[in-house]
Amino acid sequence: MNIRGFGRGMDEMLQAFLLFWIPVSMVPLGLWYSMSSPLQSSPLRGRFLAFAGIVLVCLSPWTVPSSPSSAAGHLLGAIIGPCLLIMLGIYLISFSGNVAVGKLPRSDRKIGVLMAGVGFVWLAGMHWWILTPQLVPNEVNPYWYVFWPTFILLTSCLASCSAVTLLMIGERRKAEANTMFIVSGLSFTVLLLGLNIDGPLVKADEFREHLWLAVADLAGIVVGSVLSILVFALVIYLYERNLPEPKAITPPTESELKQVSTLISAHIGGGEE
Amino acid sequence: MKEPRLMFTWRMMLLAFLLPPLLVLAIDMTFYGGFKGIDSGVSFTRFANATLTAYTLCSLFLLGNLFFYGESRNRPWAPLVGMIMATALGVLATVFLIGQGPMLLEDNGSVRAQAIYNIIHMLVSSGAVLVAMSVALGVTFSAITSQKPRNDFELEEE
Repeated sequence: MNIRGFGRGMDEMLQAFLLFWIPVSMVPLGLWYSMSSPLQSSPLRGRFLAFAGIVLVCLSPWTVPSSPSSAAGHLLGAIIGPCLLIMLGIYLISFSGNVAVGKLPRSDRKIGVLMAGVGFVWLAGMHWWILTPQLVPNEVNPYWYVFWPTFILLTSCLASCSAVTLLMIGERRKAEANTMFIVSGLSFTVLLLGLNIDGPLVKADEFREHLWLAVADLAGIVVGSVLSILVFALVIYLYERNLPEPKAITPPTESELKQVSTLISAHIGGGEE
Repeated sequence: MKEPRLMFTWRMMLLAFLLPPLLVLAIDMTFYGGFKGIDSGVSFTRFANATLTAYTLCSLFLLGNLFFYGESRNRPWAPLVGMIMATALGVLATVFLIGQGPMLLEDNGSVRAQAIYNIIHMLVSSGAVLVAMSVALGVTFSAITSQKPRNDFELEEE
């Protein structure tokens, strides 16, 4: 891919801020706006803002080629197609089965399997064929080494965990658990192939190195997220603990007690029936 | 006939989750006699950077949630200030630790470059995590909906 910028007159930092970081922040802001605002037209506006952010991030290799961060935009543009195919395929497979609401025609199942399969083959083609995301010819996008091992490893881990959960919690879920074991086994096979078979640009040794970096990355994400959640819980706990006791009300008077007992006796007797 | 069911334990769940990387390690040890391709220094740097970035970004996200939590309670300032301080602590710790030297600098020349790289790296990793979770959950759901409808009375009789 030949990438040439078209904002040469601007300072590089300002260019990266305007054409990469603002679009990046538009995505969560748009989603937040679409979900939180009580106005009826705001969901559409919020979704449009998020969509515009995604498009601008995907265009960042052309708008801010000088910024190393734009490689992430390039990766997003490269993987958005296969990922959407996989998601849509899974959606079609799921809702053409036995669901209570939103059931799709049975024929959608075959289309779903085809779409999900093409999506996975497309991603695999980025490792072992000519589809590898490249910023300049023969230079692999560095973030592809982050995305691909993390995705394959975590899919295998989660599918294995899901299979065992189905066996432990579900009633007569052996067939479903077997399907999940097969998915986990397939992902693991792709992982092993990546560790042993070179692609045209992605070498097995590089993949192996990045696989262990992905493990370190995932462990770091878990530790960091758990720490922040603990801090959050601590802040809420300290605030709630320091709140003053609610004001006590005066006990009921004799007349109030009499009125209550009259009301109760009128409702629990059942004499009139 | 009723199928025998495994007993639920967290250890079993954790083991099932960790099985793939443990298998890769076992295969490596069998065929190469050691841990091939693991550089503990580089892995630690990545782990530390990921921890600091995840803490800071997750705190920022929770700070937003806290803002809405306060809406139903006359928006108290105390927890908001507490969480702002916790987030600021994450930012300061990141800047301080990266600035200590090459320990947390991956192929980047300055603190700012490393901090920006950490955020982008975290966004890409989070994207991969989201896609993997969607695939695993989606396939589980489609495996369940693919089965024939059940007769609940049969289950009760068993």
